[in-house]
Amino acid sequence: MKRVEVRLSIAAVAPLLDIIKAVADELREHVAVPVALTGADAELASVWHEDLLQSQRDDCDRLLSLFDQEFFTEGVVAFDRDNAEAVLRASAALRLRLRSARLARMSDEALEALEADSVMDEIDEDEKRAFACFVFLDELQKIILKYLDPLSVDEDE
Amino acid sequence: MSAPVETKIAWRVVFLNDAVTRMSYAVMVLRKVFGFDEPTATRHMMEAHEQGRAVVWTGLRENAEAYVFSLQQWHLSATLETDEKG
Repeated sequence: MKRVEVRLSIAAVAPLLDIIKAVADELREHVAVPVALTGADAELASVWHEDLLQSQRDDCDRLLSLFDQEFFTEGVVAFDRDNAEAVLRASAALRLRLRSARLARMSDEALEALEADSVMDEIDEDEKRAFACFVFLDELQKIILKYLDPLSVDEDE
Repeated sequence: MSAPVETKIAWRVVFLNDAVTRMSYAVMVLRKVFGFDEPTATRHMMEAHEQGRAVVWTGLRENAEAYVFSLQQWHLSATLETDEKG
């Protein structure tokens, strides 16, 4: 994967970063997907849980590092071979956490369609901002996946 | 002396659908973790999408656990199953 630079709207994205940072902080202590280790001993389950948490923290740190001085001056974030997979994983974890902790009232159908129009009147301002983060992180994933495997994203459309 | 019974029990890695994960992301992860080709990964993804779950691998418990761990590192929901009754 070559280095890919993406120009984002600072005005649109900057307000989302506080929420994304807050959710990333929550993910320092909570795995995005519950550990499923049927019948394992407690020690193994504990090691597994801690390893997942550490991996999740590292990935979220990589994603947050995208929004550095260059982003706040030029609006540019860059993906390359070194950070693409970590940002993909972090986006997945953040979206799952947003769904479970801040968008629990939205239906699966609305989330899957990435369409909040039908429920905009029913959700509050915090939920609208959380949904904006949810959609933004999906777009980040879409961009990276497009460059990792250009044909794959067509399946989602 | 025969090998321990545990080593002969087949365990299944079951990939579970969720309403959040992008389809192309799930396909990429299934390819990366299991080495599936594109059609196989897509078939498993669609099965999970339509039926809620898909058995994506069967074999020894240790390997199955490693696969579930890898899927969870990518934040895909997965679980282990066996026919053996505890």
